[in-house]
This record gives sequence, structure tokens and C-alpha cells, in this order.
Amino acid sequence: MDWSGWATFGVAATAVLTAVIVGAQLAGLTRLDIPLMLGTLITGDPDRARFVGFFLHLVMGQFFALFYAAGFAQLGRSGWLLGAGFGLIHATIAGAVLVPLLPTIHPRMATERAGPSSTTVLEPPGLLALNYGWSTPLVTMAAHVVYGAILGAFLQVR
Amino acid sequence: MNSIRRIPIGEYGLIGDTRTAALVAPDGSIDWLCLPRFDSPPVFGRLVGGEEGGHFVIAPDEPATLAGQGYRGDTATLETEWAVDGGRLVLADTMVGEVTGVMLPESLLVRRVTSQGRPIRVGVEISPRFGYQRERARRIRRQNGNLLVDHGDIAFSLTTGTEHQLEPDRPNVIEVRPDRPVTVVMSASHRGPLFLVPSEVGTGEAARDETRWQLWADSLVTGPHHRRAILRSFITLQLLTYSPTGAPVAAPTTSLPEVVGGSRNWDYRYAWPRDACTGITAFLSAGKEREARGFHAWLLHASRLARPRLPALFSLDGRPAPLEQELEGWPGYADSRPVRVGNGARAQHQLDGYGWVLDAAWQLTRAGHRLDGETWRTMQAFADHVTRNWMLPDAGIWERRDLPRHHVHSKLMAWVALDRAIQIAEQRSDTPRRLTEWSAAAGILGDEIARRAFDPHNGCYTAAYESQDLDAALLLLPWTGFEPNDSPRVAGTIDTIRRELGAGGPLLYRYRDHDGLTGREGAFLPCSFWLVHALAMTGQRSQAETLFEELLGLGGELGLYAEEMDPVTHDHLGNYPQALTHSALLQAATALND
Repeated sequence: MDWSGWATFGVAATAVLTAVIVGAQLAGLTRLDIPLMLGTLITGDPDRARFVGFFLHLVMGQFFALFYAAGFAQLGRSGWLLGAGFGLIHATIAGAVLVPLLPTIHPRMATERAGPSSTTVLEPPGLLALNYGWSTPLVTMAAHVVYGAILGAFLQVR
Repeated sequence: MNSIRRIPIGEYGLIGDTRTAALVAPDGSIDWLCLPRFDSPPVFGRLVGGEEGGHFVIAPDEPATLAGQGYRGDTATLETEWAVDGGRLVLADTMVGEVTGVMLPESLLVRRVTSQGRPIRVGVEISPRFGYQRERARRIRRQNGNLLVDHGDIAFSLTTGTEHQLEPDRPNVIEVRPDRPVTVVMSASHRGPLFLVPSEVGTGEAARDETRWQLWADSLVTGPHHRRAILRSFITLQLLTYSPTGAPVAAPTTSLPEVVGGSRNWDYRYAWPRDACTGITAFLSAGKEREARGFHAWLLHASRLARPRLPALFSLDGRPAPLEQELEGWPGYADSRPVRVGNGARAQHQLDGYGWVLDAAWQLTRAGHRLDGETWRTMQAFADHVTRNWMLPDAGIWERRDLPRHHVHSKLMAWVALDRAIQIAEQRSDTPRRLTEWSAAAGILGDEIARRAFDPHNGCYTAAYESQDLDAALLLLPWTGFEPNDSPRVAGTIDTIRRELGAGGPLLYRYRDHDGLTGREGAFLPCSFWLVHALAMTGQRSQAETLFEELLGLGGELGLYAEEMDPVTHDHLGNYPQALTHSALLQAATALND
């Protein structure tokens, strides 16, 4: 496996993925705020949470890049198109499975089954994070496709 | 539809969180709230947007009479009270200001409803609109007892803490029992997930907000007279400060008319350097150095890109204010059209700004704050700019849209800029080489003002060189120090302005000559407070005191002032509440307390 490529381009791909989502946020396409959502796992201070969450997201991006690298190694080939395909699958699994599960472990997020609580909680993302805007699945899909394409283009098969 | 609803401007109460602000009518309706910040499109904009502009009403759903509206102590919580048969209903409105470090959204509106005597039926009607197109919400959902309203990058949740499920755009009725107050919490997010804030949390945060305001007001150092009015003006100035950047917002509204039915309707949701400077002076006078330095820091930040030129106004981020445009289909306040957003004065040359800025720097210096190197270099650059440009005509403090003139107030403020720069330089060891140039320019300018701006026939300074017109801004003459306060020229100017521009009682028009715009306008309230200040500074203290008392009476129960006032009905006119008016009030009060 291309460990040095993983170390370098995992960070780069995650940074670009984050930039795509932040860009979409600024353009009013989505209210998805991954650093806030991840950071509030750790702290109830939204400003600190965004800072902490950004680094958590980098770590997660690096972690997922392992699977991309392993996948390219298993198939014996890589390339931006294959990476983009991986990204599509990644986004679908994240949106359909991982993100809806987040409220079950998140201490500061409402679950779909919770009643009125006495503490302030974040709105849950829902399936494909649709609660954060209709365009959110498209934004996350595009971000993950770019993420996968970068990894596919730059990771070597060894 | 909107022409039917005409709540007098002065009857609206201001609530805010120093990021945005809302106006609450005495019928419990929030008719103005821009989200997420002062200069965003309104979510509730009925004030100038008609029935399709959006509103959020909480009021008795049975026959009731208004028993009063006022602020709770020296806080930013507004209370509206109604009497109903056998009981009373109190609505307390708060926007939580301090949300740093806690799990709260950037905008949290808390509306607490309490009944006394018996259970009372309360109507709740929420009709949000989005963007300057006044669109309806794209999506409405429910989650954990919250109503979730979503429109692109803006969303808000609403909860009552009761089992009643609120429906937007239709009347909802809930019963409020004396033993069970109801708290309606609106939590808004911009470009991020919503925070679902339970009503108990909202109640607690609103109480904490009140404590913070009361402590802040208690710490203001003021003279013994008129403390209540002074504190309300300080609280209003603080509410009109956009905390993320420290920008002073001239007013939270756009297009409230200078005469009802007229077209002189402007957008004041931006920041003017002169407001920052009058704010600095006001806060320094009350011992609030942090707030004063905050305004100064904003000035330095905002003016960085245009230096040494000082733009007439800025956006809240310190960028150029948006271009002026008219909103199609907006009926305006009581049919006063057009409704405008953006401000056309952004490109004007206004010479007076430099005087305000250098005077603020001088005030800070006198208060014992040594200007740091960058600040002093900036002030020097402004003084140099004035040295090179004082001879040009400008649009003046009133931002006139006719041809530029040699406004005497502007020339006086240019002189103030040079005078204060010289005084600061003389206090510092690093005296700049340009001190001689400033002194020479101040001398030439002073001679020119004395020669070309004084009308010997009427014994007063005029609005422009070689003109017969008058300008109430010249009531600031004693404050400038241009002439000794016992000079007959100063007395003549005050007397003539009072006589010729008087609008009855303490009210004054700012000018009477044609300014190139259609229609007329009301009396200009800051000028009345400047008159009080001028009289106090020229030894006419008892007259000043009398006028000040009269002006306080015109502010009504809430102690808030618009930009202008109808001289006959005493209805407030123009954008509301207005920072410049409140700064002028504080300037007058300080002079009276000295």
C-alpha cells in the first residue's frame, strides 16, 4: 500500500472535501456544518466545537483514506475515475447509514424518538442529512466524489 | 393592506442581541426582525413590507386593553401588559445577547407570557417571510415538540414548552394559567444546524440576559440628573452595536419615512464613522473605556482599505455599504414608498467625517490612552488628507444629493480635524514634521471660514459659503472650539438658528432650503439635543435644562428616539431608534451634568 501517498493525499483530499462543503454552506446550499456536528461530541461550546471538529474531521478523512488505499491495492489499479466511484459509494453509505446513526451516540443532538428535553440540542441531520437542506445530499455527494478522485489520482498501487 | 395598520413609530419597543434587533408593537407583534444580522433581509418585515412582510404576534385572544409597555428595569427586556376582564397578561420579550461558549444559537428570541388573576387565552401567530422577495418557508417540519421552519441558509425552531403544536401562518390559541407561564422560544441558525432550545432553557437564558444588562447599566458612571434617560440611551447604543465587528449601526430599520407618505426613506442598517465617534465620546463620559475603544478599533479596521480617504459609511464588516436599490412591491410604512436597501451616500465625499474621527482620538488621548503607533499614523494620514482636500466642496453631514457645496459645518469639522491632530501631536514626544503644515492649513481654513461663512447682516454663520441658508448642524460650533463660547458670533448663530429653523418647542428643522429631493421632512431630533448642548456650553443652562426636559417628554415611556419628529403630532419619523439622536442626547446630558 502507498503509505506515504496515504499520509499526504489523505490530508489534502479531506481538506478539499471540507472546502467544498464550507463553500456550499457559504453559498446557502446547505446548513450541514461537519466541524460543529463532530466538535459538539466533545464540547458544548459551539465556537470551540468548530475548531475541535475540524481536526476530528481531518482524522476521520485520513482514516477513510485507508480504505481507499486498500481498495486500490486490492484491485491493483487506481485513477481519478475509480476514486470518484469509491467516493460515490462512500457518500451513499455515509448519508444513508452513518449520518442518521450520529444522534444515537451524540450527546448534544436530538434523536428522532426523543421527547422534549431540558437541554439544548442540535437538530438531527436525518436520512442523507436532508434536514439541513434539500441540496445537502448533492453537496456531500460532490464533496466525496472530489475526495475520492483526488485519492484515486494520486495514490500509487504497490 | 398595510395602509390599514399604522402603529406610530415611537410606540415600537426595541429588543436586540447586538447582532440583530427586533421592533415590538404595543399589540405584541414583532413587525421587524432581520436574521441573522441587522442588515439581512427581514424574517418579520411587516413594518415596511405590508401584510406579506411577515410578523410574529403574541397577544390576548380575548377583549383586552393595553395597560402599558416599558423596559424591565435597566435591561433590554421589553414588557407589554394588557388588562383583561378579571386578569392581566404580561409579555416579556428578550433576545439573548451573550451566547459565547454555551450551547446556544446566534439568535435566540424568548417571549415569556404570564397571566395574573385567571387563565387567559393567548393568540400566537407566526408568519415568517424570507429574502427581499418575501418568500414563504420552503419546508416546515416538527422535531421534539419544535416547529422547524427552513428556507435555504436560514432556519429557525419554535417551541412553546406546551403540548400545543404551533402552525405557521394561522392563529394559534394557547391558554396561559397563572401557575404556569408559557415561554415561546425562537432559535435561529444561519448556514448551520438548528439548536433546539427548550423553553425552560430559554427562560433561564432570558433571566441571565436581564442580569447582565442590569449589571452593565449599574456600572455606568453618570451625573445625578436624568439618569433613567441616560441609561436607556446607553443601552440603546449598545444594542445598536454589531458585536462581531464592533460596528455602530445607525438604526436597525430601513425606509421608515421622514414624513409619512413621503419618499425620503433610507436604509440606515450600516455604520457611519461619525456614529462611532460620538459613541466613543459618550462611552468615555460614562467610564466605559472598553466600549469606547471598541468603536475606535472598528473605525481603524473599517477604514484600512480606503485610507487616507474616509468613506461616508461602511457595511457592518467594514466593507463598502451595498448599492442602493428600491424593493419592488414593498408598500412601505403607511404607504411611504419606496422601500430602499443599500445606501447611495456610500460614494459621497463628506469632509466632516475626519473631524469626528480625530476628535474621538483626541478624546481618547485626553482620557489617558496613548494612541499606538498604527493608530497615530492613521490619524496623521487623515490630517494630511484634510490638509490637501479641505478646499473641495462636499455633500455635507446631511448627505445632500444635490450639487456639492462648501458646507460650513464640513469646513468647521475639517478645522476640528487639524486642531485635534495638532493637540494630539503636542502631547506626544514623536511630533510629526507635518505639524507645521497642519497649523498653516488650520490657519488658512479658519480665516476662510471667518471671512466667507459669516453673514454679518444676520450675525450668524451660514450653511454654505456666501449663502443665506442656515444649517442646524452649526449648533455644534461651541463644541468645536473654533471660537470662544462667549463670542457674539457664536451667540448670534445659536439665536438665529433657533429662531429661523425652530419647529415649535424644542424642535428644529436641520435646514429649510431646497435639497434637490421631493417632499418635506420632520424636525431633526439630534439638532434639538445639540441646541441643548450649545445653550449649556454658552452659559444658558436654565434654558438648556428646560428644553432637555421637554425633549425627554417627547421620547415617551420607552425613552427611544427616531431621527426626526412631526412638529405638530410629535410622532417619531425616520429610522428608529437612531444612534445619532441617542448620542446627541447623551452629549447634552453630559453638558448639563458637568
